[in-house]
Parts: sequence; structure tokens; C-alpha cells
Amino acid sequence: MSRNFYPELVRVDACDKVRGITRFGTDNRPENLAHGAFAVATIGKGRVLSVDTLSAEALPGVLSVITHRDTTSLKPAQFLMAGGYAFQTHSPILTAEVAYRGQPVALVLAETLEIAIEAAALLRIDYEEVAFAATMDSPLAEPVAQAQAPMRYPLEDVSVGDALSAYEGGAVKVDSTYGMERQFQNPMELIGTVASWDGDRLTIHEGTQNAGGCKFGVADQLGISPENVTVISPFIGGGFGQKNSMQSQLVLAAFASRQLGRPVKIVVPRRQLFHDTTSRPATRQRVRLAADREGRLVGALYDVDAQTSKLDFFPAEHADTAARFYGYPAFKSFTRLIRTDIPTPGYMRAPFEHAAAFAIESAMDELSYQLKMDPVELRLRNDTAVDVVSGLPHSSRHVAECLRRGAETFGWSRRNPKPRSMVAANGDLIGMGVAIGLYSGSGGPTRARIIARRDGTVTVNVGIHEMGQGAVTAIINVVAKRLGVQPSAVTAMVGDTSGVPQPLTAGSWGSTSAMPAVEAVCDALMQALAEAGVETSGNVPLGEMVARTGRDEIQTDASSVAPGQDPQVLGRTDTGRVAPAGPVYPGFVTYSYAVHFVEVHVEASTGRIRVPRVVSMFDCGRVLSPRTARSQAIGGVVWGIGGTLREGAETDARYGGVMNGDIAEYLIPVNADIGSIEVGFIDEPDFQVNRSGVKGLGEVVMAGVAPAITNAVYHATETRVRDLPVRLEMLLRSQE
Amino acid sequence: MKRFDYARPADLGSAIATLAAAGDGTRLVAGGTTLFDLMKLDVETPGRLVDINGLAELRGIDTGGDELRLGALVRMADAAEDTRLKADFPLLSEALWKAASQQLRNMASLGGNLLQRTRCAYFRHGEPFACNKRNPGSGCAAIDGANRSHAFFGGSDACVAAYPGDFAIALIAMDAVIDVEGAKGRRSLAIADLHRQPGARPHQDANLSPDEIIVQIRIPANSVGRASTYHKVRDRESYAFAVVSTAAAVRIEDGVVADVRIALGGVATVPWRARSAEQALIGRRLDAETAAEAGRIAFEGAAPLNHNSFKIELGANVVRDALIIAAGRA
Ligand SMILES: Cc1cc2nc3c(=O)[nH]c(=O)nc-3n(C[C@H](O)[C@H](O)[C@H](O)COP(=O)(O)OP(=O)(O)OC[C@H]3O[C@@H](n4cnc5c(N)ncnc54)[C@H](O)[C@@H]3O)c2cc1C
Ligand code: SF4
Repeated sequence: MSRNFYPELVRVDACDKVRGITRFGTDNRPENLAHGAFAVATIGKGRVLSVDTLSAEALPGVLSVITHRDTTSLKPAQFLMAGGYAFQTHSPILTAEVAYRGQPVALVLAETLEIAIEAAALLRIDYEEVAFAATMDSPLAEPVAQAQAPMRYPLEDVSVGDALSAYEGGAVKVDSTYGMERQFQNPMELIGTVASWDGDRLTIHEGTQNAGGCKFGVADQLGISPENVTVISPFIGGGFGQKNSMQSQLVLAAFASRQLGRPVKIVVPRRQLFHDTTSRPATRQRVRLAADREGRLVGALYDVDAQTSKLDFFPAEHADTAARFYGYPAFKSFTRLIRTDIPTPGYMRAPFEHAAAFAIESAMDELSYQLKMDPVELRLRNDTAVDVVSGLPHSSRHVAECLRRGAETFGWSRRNPKPRSMVAANGDLIGMGVAIGLYSGSGGPTRARIIARRDGTVTVNVGIHEMGQGAVTAIINVVAKRLGVQPSAVTAMVGDTSGVPQPLTAGSWGSTSAMPAVEAVCDALMQALAEAGVETSGNVPLGEMVARTGRDEIQTDASSVAPGQDPQVLGRTDTGRVAPAGPVYPGFVTYSYAVHFVEVHVEASTGRIRVPRVVSMFDCGRVLSPRTARSQAIGGVVWGIGGTLREGAETDARYGGVMNGDIAEYLIPVNADIGSIEVGFIDEPDFQVNRSGVKGLGEVVMAGVAPAITNAVYHATETRVRDLPVRLEMLLRSQE
Repeated sequence: MKRFDYARPADLGSAIATLAAAGDGTRLVAGGTTLFDLMKLDVETPGRLVDINGLAELRGIDTGGDELRLGALVRMADAAEDTRLKADFPLLSEALWKAASQQLRNMASLGGNLLQRTRCAYFRHGEPFACNKRNPGSGCAAIDGANRSHAFFGGSDACVAAYPGDFAIALIAMDAVIDVEGAKGRRSLAIADLHRQPGARPHQDANLSPDEIIVQIRIPANSVGRASTYHKVRDRESYAFAVVSTAAAVRIEDGVVADVRIALGGVATVPWRARSAEQALIGRRLDAETAAEAGRIAFEGAAPLNHNSFKIELGANVVRDALIIAAGRA
């Protein structure tokens, strides 16, 4: 492995987290706190006719019961991708409508959480139920061609050349369909809010990836000035996209707190999170690939059905990813959104890329067997320096390097290409598979502020959230190196709207947006010192420089935008809006890449799959914080394993909702599921996309793990799994 | 969760008296890992809890004499690690090791383990699901629903919920005896008689009256337990209920099977002994072929549902593998 440019810095919040000192949003317990619990809908769709609150209110300790009749002053939320701030347009308890089973229909406030829960169960709710579509296969599901859907940010199908003719004329072809169940983020920290008022000023403690969006969103719903709202989210116990926008409980906590005149806490229990927030939508993807006899792709057709809700058109961007894997001379996609009665799906880590990679890279593997060509070689032959969609060059693309280094580290040359040919001492079938993943390189407008003090300490405040990915550690690493101070002298303030604006941190645009702003604000500081007449070159310590200005501290502000963005776009950040650019920039296109090599052992008699070994190589531009980057990558691979072999929501179409809505039954990997995971980074900066040379890492890490596993399973067993999650029964011989 | 009263009697007699006096809405609690879970889901709504953790009579492992006695309050983790269990009854130790998680095993008792309730999602998750076990007469949502984890042995038109536990599967293979004590005194019953098939009354899981407490589990000394295993296939490598499991034990004499025990988990409404498969092996050599045949026989008569028929083939393989592992320990 190459030496990294940035030093190995221990995660700055590690010790506090291990000792349980870190306070997450709902760890805050202001005095006189009241607790909220929801009663949720037991029907699949319809409306609430009446809520009998008598016995609930009779319970000692119950403070109030809030139903849709009480919330008429509140404005409904709007969907993030339709110009609003929320995960969907529908606001439970703000109307009588029930859009899906498990939706909150009443909120009970009580002196203790236990009383609130008990009272919520005592509410007698009458409904009018209507027919609904819980799954993509339901008769009442409504398919809509995405290109024709009335979306605020319309998405075209991808069309390059005459793909159909190219496909039909190809010498070697694959035509396969791949399915994937809905999946849920399940961050350890539940979604929740602590709301309190001081006069007309509202303070929100909540683990969110989007403090800015929550501030403006809740102000809008309450009809108050955003200036009167502060959202504080310094630590998030995992977000993975589930906390990327305003959730149902936020406005209700704020409203209830104002009604009661005391702070209110609502924590949404795990089971309710399976029913009233986002998920990775279920998909069905048909891939048709054609190649010439030398293995060069000549054309690809890609049809996607992606689940959405009947409330919103959740964009399905699978095709934009799929079209970037290779240098296809011709490519055509057709995406349909299948409208169903579920909460609006959302962005779950590698939202489209996990599924798209599964389809494209499985099909490539199928093609490799038809061509009798090594899968690594097939991928090398179809690598490209030019983006086929836009015709622009890639700012950086080290896929070939990842393939070669990965193959060498993994020992790919020891692989016998014949399926079912490698057998372990205990009789397990051994399989080895490879796959690529990719993720768009985005960036957006960000503001930063820095204060350097006479005592040598530095505080930097920047628009980003610490979700456990190590953002703060990376910021401190960058600031320390740039200003020549010890990391321990630097503190960072993030996720708090009382400082600089806090735009949504997601889409792997956290570091790519924030680090350029951090570097800019460091430079601005040095310039301010120079303007104050201080000599800034040489070995003078920073504190001494500040002292020489005669002041106690120096503060500077700076901002940055992505390539090609008008600085005006900072205005969007200032109002809690999302404004990233990329992956297509003026003159170039940017993606991050992953290549995964996986070894599986399959017990032939049971179909049980184990994954003793994974080697993954990443091209994410400059590595800002080697240690947290490695953790991020290992975590992504673990999730990739879970997202392939374990995770999948089960729905009974007669009832709607999720049958396995808790983490005892919705399987996520346990330690025993995970073997050795070795990760490496190319660590080549990409200075075209931003001054820090960083491309995103957080999402790409899990993209491509799924097909690498199922390709390995095919190599082991000669059974092609085209539906996730993989279950034992799919590998029993008689099922083939 | 509902409010409840709580009592913690100091001895067995007063516990039974408390139970007998209390009537219907009373549950006794040991580790609480099943009961509290179901109370939080509002599936169990007792008005009164009798905590039996103070009863010394229910503690301890006694390995002396011609039987092994395990107190009902012995924690799963302690029994799993017991050296005599490991040596003489590896299937019992393994059944415990492969259940739940270390945290749960530290908390959960053997008595409570036997009486854990089904994982059927329609049962656990309340309204709006039809479930005869939770709400007698409401119907059974699982029969035409998501029934991959349900039973194809021992079910009825009213209920097909699988018995989820592991330990009882191993116990039934060892012909364990359960000692219970209640207002009418002490009695013993075979483990095979403890659990009830649903029939027309799925709401009643066990053949115990409300005032009866499991005191201990007795396992007669035998010569078959030593060469045994509990083989469990699940949807992840640990911390999951069985998709299919087999408790197998075998004694080979003069190259042929003299005694063999086969019990199945994950596929039946109660711990399930596969006696005809056992019969088929007696007096024959145990090899891959005869083991596979026993596996096939074990699953004869299954009444598969929409989503669990794969367990016939999978289960047959698991029985075969379990027999081979057990025989390897002879
Ligand atoms: C996430 C999870 C995963 C699990 N995985 C597995 C698994 O893989 N395999 C497995 O076998 N189990 C598994 N379990 C179940 C677990 O083993 C049981 O919950 C546990 O053994 C119950 O014991 P307890 O002492 O906590 O029982 P309690 O919850 O205290 O009691 C359970 C029931 O038994 C009754 N009871 C308890 N003691 C007695 C007694 N002495 N006499 C009469 N009645 C009594 C109670 O009244 C109650 O009805 C899992 C549980 C959880 C929560
Ligand atoms: S199988 Fe039994 S427990 Fe499950 S829904 Fe049917 S009646 Fe209820």
C-alpha cells in the first residue's frame, strides 16, 4: 500500500464515544421534559374517522393527546425533491389521511415514556379503509415512465447511439433480470427530537444530516421565522440517508412543546422506523448486454422498475450510474417508477449504485462465461477514459489500477476459471468473484469560519455533519496540516445552525464540499494575518502570529462552490436548500470507484454461504484521514455483505407495512458473518474537481459488493442468483 | 405495555400460593427475555408478574447419580458451559450455544427457554393481523401468508406456528423429563408431553396449569448422548432462529446402529421426534447413504405451505449431516 499524503490521525471523538460521554440528540434531557409516543395506523390506507381518547386521557400522567383535529394551524411538509425539506410530502397527524400502514395517527404526551406508550395503546381509532398497493406486484400499483413523470427535477432516460440495433447485432449476448427487495438503513441511533421553546425561540436537538433543512422546514410548518429556530446536531449515531431530511416527528415535537409550555422528546421506536420513514426502494432491473467475440461491449439496454410511493416521485437514478461502468458505444435506458402505498423511499447508502452495480456487474459476469474470458480481463477491455453519456473526459478514473492491484493482493491468479472446480478441505465449494462499483463525484456550496487565538488554539466552523464517518477528524487533519498546528489545538463545530449554515451532508459530497471551504478559510486566515502586517512564512507558531497582531483572536470567513457553480448558489445553502453539482461539470465528469474481490465458501448440502475474504480497492481521490477512511471502507463492505446475503423487507400484500420490522427479524450481519476485509486506496488527488483533490468515499464503498459476492457464488456453485437477498433455498440443487 | 403488579416470593411454596390465588392475568417471569419482549409488543398483557428468581429450589446443576438434573432457573449460558453437558451430551450444550446471543443466554433461564413463544410475525405484531393464538377465533394470517418460517409438521387449520426453541429439540432426543409443581402437588411429564400441538386451541402452548412451575429438567443417563450434535442451519451465522435444525445422537455397536435419536427444529409446531427415520437406521450401518435415507424418511408426511417446501430437501440434508457429525464423535 502506498503511503498516504495525510497523517494517520486517531478519530478525535473515539475516546468519548467508547466511554459513552458523547451526547447524541435525544440524550438531552432538559428539565420538566415531557415524552411523546405515537399510535400508528393498523389499516393499509384510508382515513381516520374518529379517535376516542377517553381512556388514554384518564391515565394518570397523560398530558395531552394530539390528533389531526388539533394540528390545523400547521402547514404540511414538502418533499425534499419537490422544493421542500421533508422526506415526503405527506405529514402524518396533520390530516386525517392514512397513506400506509404503520403511519402515526395520534401523538400522546405524558410525564414518562412508559405512560405515553401505554396511553397510545389505549386510543380507540376508527378508520375508513380503501384498497391499496403494498408492493410493486400489487394490482393497484401504478407504473409511470420516469421521463414523463411530473417531477420538479425531471430525469431523462439515457440514450447513446442506436443501442437496440447494436444489441441485436452483437455476437455474444446476455439478457437477464435482477430483483432486489426493499431495504432499511437501521442506523443505531433512532430518529428523534428534543424540542424546547424559550419565548418565541425554538431549539431542536436531533440527530440529523441536515440541520439547515430541519431549521427552515420546521419554521415553515410552524409559520415562524427561521431566525428563531436553532437546530443542534453535532453527532449522528449513523444516518445513511435516513436522516437526510425532515422526519414526521419534528414538527409535532415542536408543536406539542409549544402547546404544553415545556420541552418535549419524541424518539421513534425501531418498529415505527420500518413504517414511517425512507427505505431503499425495491427494484427489478433488466440488463441486455452485447459484445463482440473479443469481449468489447457493442451495446447495452437497461430497463429499471423502481418502487416509489403514491405521495411523491422518488427519482430513480440507476441508469446514470449504469451508463458509467464501461465505454459502451451504445446505451439505452428506460426507467419506470412503480407507485405504491408506502412512505416515499429515500436515499439509503449507495441508493441506486448498490442495485445498479448488482445488475450490470452480474450481467458482465454472465457475459464473461459466455465469452470464456477472465472477468478481470473483460472489465479491463471495456474500461474508458471518456464518459459515454456526455462525451466528456473523466477527471480521474483509476479503475484499471484498482483491478490490477486488487487482483494481485487477492491472489486472483490462483482462481481456476471453471465453476465448481475449487473445493475446500471440508467439502465447501469455493468461489471467487469480482465487481466494480461507482458513485458520482458531487460537491456543493459551503461556508466556513475560523478563529485563531493567541493561545494557539483554533476553532473551525463549517457546514457539514459528523455522522460517524469521521468528518471532524478529517477537518482537523486538514486544518492542522495547513496551519502547522497540532491536531489537539483544533476544535471543529459542525451540525449547529447557530454558526455557519448547515446544508445536507449526503451523497458523498460532505468532504468534497467542506474541505475546499476549510482550506479556503485557512488561507483567508493567513491572508488576514499578512494584511495585519504579520510575517506568515517561516516558523512562527500560529498563536504567536495572532499575538503579533495585538489582538486576542482573528476570525475569518470563506466559502467555496463546486466547479462551474455561480457563487450565488450559496444563497441556497443559506436557506437550508440542497445545491450540489456533479458528476458532470463544465469540461469533465467525476466519479469515485471501487473494485471488490470476494471469496465465498458454499456448503453444498445447505446452500449456506460464508464470506471469509474480501479485498477492495478504492479510487476516491485524496485520502484526507487514512484511519477513518479505512473504517468507512470496511463498514461499507460489511454493509455490502449484509445488503446481499441478509437484508430484505418482507411485506404481506394483504396488510401492507413490513412483516420483519425489527432487527431481530430483519437480518443485518453479525460478527460471525464477517471474515477478513482488506481495503486499499489509490490516493491520487483529483484537483480538477476541487482544490482538496477529494472525490467521495462514503457511498462508493458498498457499491459493487453485491455482484462480487453473487459472481463468486456462481463460480462456486454454477447457480446464478439474480434476486437479493440470497436465501438458502436459492442454492439448493433441486431449485436450479 | 400495560402497568402491572409485581411480586417476588422467596420460596417455591409461596410462589405457587401466589399463582394459585392470582388467577388468569398472572404470569411468572424468569429471565424475562420472552415475556418482556411480548409485553412491549402488547401481545402479553399480564396484570401481575410473579418473579421466580428468588427460588433457590430452581437453581443448580446436579450431575451426580444416574440422571442429569438442571434447575429451571439455570441460565442458558451456565448450562451451555457445563463440563458434563459438554462431555456426555454435546447436543444439549450445542443447542444452547447456538441459540440467541451471549447477552440473552446470560439472562435467559432453561425453564423460560422451554416455554418461549413462537416467532410468527402475525402473532408478535398484533393488530391488524388475524391470529388464533393471540386472539382466539380471529383466524390465521400465516396459512396463506408469509410462512417461510412456519411448520409443516403438527399444524392445524387454526395455526401452523413453528416452535422456535433449540434446547427442547435436543431434550426430546434425550427423552428428558420435566418436573413441575403446582397447587395440586408435584408431577413429572415427558418433554414430549410439555408442548401442545395447536389443534383447535392454538392459544394454549403448553400442558401446564396456570399455577404450575417448572422446577427442573431431568435427563436420564444414557449411552447415546455422547456421540451427538445439534446441527442448526439459519439465515445468518449466529443470533438467528433455526431455518431447520436437527438434534442427532447415535450409538454404534458391532458396526451397526444400536440406538439413534433424531429430532427436528424449525419445521414443527412442537419439538419433533423423527421416530420412523430412527427405526430405519436401527441394525444398519451408518454411512452417507443410510444417513441420507433417514433424512428423507424424517420429512415424509410433511404438509408444506406456500413458502417452506424447500425445507423438505434442506432438512433431509441437515439430518444426514447431523448423523454423520454425531457418528464421527462415537
Ligand atoms: C432476539 C432473540 C433471539 C433469540 N434467539 C433464540 C434462538 O436462536 N434459539 C432459542 O432457542 N431461543 C432464542 N431466543 C429465545 C430465548 O432463548 C428465550 O427468550 C429465553 O430462553 C426465555 O427464557 P427466560 O428465562 O428469559 O424466559 P421468560 O421470558 O422469563 O419466560 C418465558 C415464558 O416462560 C414462562 N416461564 C419461565 N420460567 C418458568 C418456569 N420455571 N415454570 C413455568 N413457566 C416458566 C414465563 O411465564 C413466560 O411465559 C431468542 C430471543 C430473543 C429475544
Ligand atoms: S400460525 Fe398461529 S401464531 Fe401464526 S398467525 Fe396463524 S394462528 Fe397466529
